[in-house]
Amino acid sequence: MRKKQKRSKNSIFPLPIDQLLETIQSKFEGNDDLKISKHEHNGKKLVLFYIEYQADSDMLQNYLLRPILHIKKDWTNDELINHIPLTSPNKETELEKILEGLIVGHVFIYVEGESEAVSYSIVKKETRSLEKAETESLVLGPKISFTESLKTNLNIIRWRIKSTDLVVEELKVGKTVPAGVRLVYMKSIANEVDVNTMRQRIEDLDIDEVEDSIVLKQYLEDSQNNLFPQFDSTELPDRFTYGLTKGKIGVLMENSPTGIVAPATLFSYLESTEDLYMRWQAGSFLRILRFMSMFFSVLVTPAYVAVVTYQYGIIPTQLLISLGQSRAAVPFPPLIEALILEFLIELLREAGARLPTKVGQTMGIVGGIVIGQAAVEAGLTSNILIIVIAMSALASFTTPSYLLGTTIRLIRFPMIVLAGIFGLYGIIFGICFLIIHLLNLKSLGRPYLVPLYPLQLKDFNKVFFRTPFNHLNKRARSYRPKDLIRFSKQEAEKRKDIDE
Amino acid sequence: MDISPKIRNNLKVRPLYILFMIFGLQVGVGIMGAPRFIFMESMQDSWISILIAWAAMVIVIYVMFQILKQYPNADIFGIQVDLFGKWVGSILGTIYILFFLASLLSVLLTYVNVIQLFLYPTFPPIIIGSSVLLLAHYCVIGGVRSVVGAAFLFSVLPLWLLFLLYDPITRMDWYHFLPVFQSSIPELLKGAKSTTYTLTGFEILFVFYPFLTKKNKVLKPALFGVTATTILLLIFMIISIGYFSPDELKKDDWATLTLFKSVSYPFIERLDYIVVVGWMMVILPNLVILLWASSYGLKRLYRIKQKSSLHVTFVVLIVLVGFIKENHIIYKITDYVSQVSFWLIFVYPLILLPIVLIKKKWLSKKKKGSDAK
Repeated sequence: MRKKQKRSKNSIFPLPIDQLLETIQSKFEGNDDLKISKHEHNGKKLVLFYIEYQADSDMLQNYLLRPILHIKKDWTNDELINHIPLTSPNKETELEKILEGLIVGHVFIYVEGESEAVSYSIVKKETRSLEKAETESLVLGPKISFTESLKTNLNIIRWRIKSTDLVVEELKVGKTVPAGVRLVYMKSIANEVDVNTMRQRIEDLDIDEVEDSIVLKQYLEDSQNNLFPQFDSTELPDRFTYGLTKGKIGVLMENSPTGIVAPATLFSYLESTEDLYMRWQAGSFLRILRFMSMFFSVLVTPAYVAVVTYQYGIIPTQLLISLGQSRAAVPFPPLIEALILEFLIELLREAGARLPTKVGQTMGIVGGIVIGQAAVEAGLTSNILIIVIAMSALASFTTPSYLLGTTIRLIRFPMIVLAGIFGLYGIIFGICFLIIHLLNLKSLGRPYLVPLYPLQLKDFNKVFFRTPFNHLNKRARSYRPKDLIRFSKQEAEKRKDIDE
Repeated sequence: MDISPKIRNNLKVRPLYILFMIFGLQVGVGIMGAPRFIFMESMQDSWISILIAWAAMVIVIYVMFQILKQYPNADIFGIQVDLFGKWVGSILGTIYILFFLASLLSVLLTYVNVIQLFLYPTFPPIIIGSSVLLLAHYCVIGGVRSVVGAAFLFSVLPLWLLFLLYDPITRMDWYHFLPVFQSSIPELLKGAKSTTYTLTGFEILFVFYPFLTKKNKVLKPALFGVTATTILLLIFMIISIGYFSPDELKKDDWATLTLFKSVSYPFIERLDYIVVVGWMMVILPNLVILLWASSYGLKRLYRIKQKSSLHVTFVVLIVLVGFIKENHIIYKITDYVSQVSFWLIFVYPLILLPIVLIKKKWLSKKKKGSDAK
């Protein structure tokens, strides 16, 4: 009852066609792309309006206009719906809804005297086709990546998880420029508290516009004042759905080829879906390699600077001699020397990323070698430092997540400065600071260092290694899934004797 | 003041972590010099002294647990107020906080001293001291969960240093232990008493108890915590006795650190640098827990915000570290802390238990009496 009243309150119909057009045109003042066509039949007037390039003109001609004009009887809404060979007609009464619909490519038909306007969605949207992932490339496994079209992305996900458990909730962000956001999770696995937190955070956002899902991610994160990314972002559908099946929550946004996955831990950035596609020995090896290279990349240049500046007693004599020889011609202290080279490497890397096509990569490498060689000959740096810095740069490339990789790049500089001023003491100070920083971090309200702290010993085989699948009958507790069991272990692990 | 503070459930941690809180707080600067102090008293039988100290700790922890068990969720500040009234209880609580701050100061000063001795003789102590304090402050700001995390991670991470001890072990002379049982019982007890400074730290159970879930399972991890410290101390003691000659050990202020001096590899020499620097990770749990405990205690006793009490203690400590430079003052503070800790930590709980029990009995009698009426 109440609903009906409300409806009639906001309804602008019925009203004469001229008046309706006047209202709508006044809203679109200054725009020439609102198209209107009026028709008359048996004394009944009908108007059809849409935005030119948002609606598919072929479909408009063939499936809307032609059937309408062929109707012999008097035009009424029901008659129209019966004759038009398109599904899901909408009936709108409010001006706001009509304007919203027009923008996203709906075609509205209004028969004078009716209390509702009929609309059909014959959206025409230009998208690029599916392509190979660029920023996160895999050797093995699916090559496809998300695109800018939300529909395509949801379509890919639905095909990957063909289950009614998959929930796709529709939300909206942005006041002046609204954009659709989808909350994606597995009903039976994802933790409800996390789902509610995420939904709440999206709904509580009170901003004018969000440019992209990576921007949305920063709005949603627990704290913006720290170095590490707190939500995982990926352009790989398989990485996205892998997170969902582990009990995490995904967020997709219109016009963005990046999916957000939360909650994340420091270690989840170092996991790659490729570990799963490898055999478990190789998968574990690669994962450990990535862990080590992260520490290596952060520590190796500062260690060089600290040791050469202050604690050269640590280096054995043999090595010290060759180090001294290579540094003999260098006029700067090690700190300046290291900073110059690191700066050079970052320049090359950034230039390589901005250069068009793959030329950038080769240019970078060649440039690196040429400049490095010249720098040594000119006496600007020592050979050994070039090796050290090249190794640390290489190591920083191994992180599967580009965002964490950037963080590691960034951390190196304060560490080098600390090492240059305080020596080994500065490095340990930096490490302790980072550990405490990570301890203070939260992702979706969950600790960032789990399973290391809070200690979850049972998750170690899932996070630090990639154990064989028949041992992984439970999901990682760290993400607090609702349902822990993946499959019954008894079936999988019936021990057999020889020759049985 | 509430006798049992109300702690939100998401701030509580598993009983397992009391192990690392105790272990992390006990292992600190004390262990760097402990072998010498113990050896001075009971010579080659020092390991027996450590075992005696272990037995004493087990008894005291059991007593502490009995005291805490009389209340649902209380800490030492609440219990003292409950037993002795508001005024006396607050004064006793303040003594506890002052003791925490004094031991924090002595840890900090000793570490600064060691860094200056081994690495940077000319470095101003205030920079070393304030940089470490800054880390502790940053951790305490993160809340009690970060404090527990730091206690856990920083007590586990430096354990790899133990692997470096294989080198001194291969150079040990086992005849240094003979003849056994030469020290008299008073000497052994004196040796045990000299471990006090190293072994203080389990008093944190009195403060941290309300933050633990499953109270009936707290005793075991607490005992494991002191046992782990004892084992660590025993390892260093035994290796020191075997590795050094008695005269050498008597002169070496930092025997534990010297042990690492002989280790070297083809790609790295002088590992003692790394050990001394890495010792920051060993003392961080000390600083973090003590800073947290004192700021939390101030909040409990005087109802001020923990943030403000934390800032105040932080500034006061930095000023003190900047002013105290003379070695004899540092030794005096350490000595003083060690004296107080013997009475406050080992003896005081033994006095407290009968008082608590008598009061409980009296209360229940009174209740029975009032019921009968």
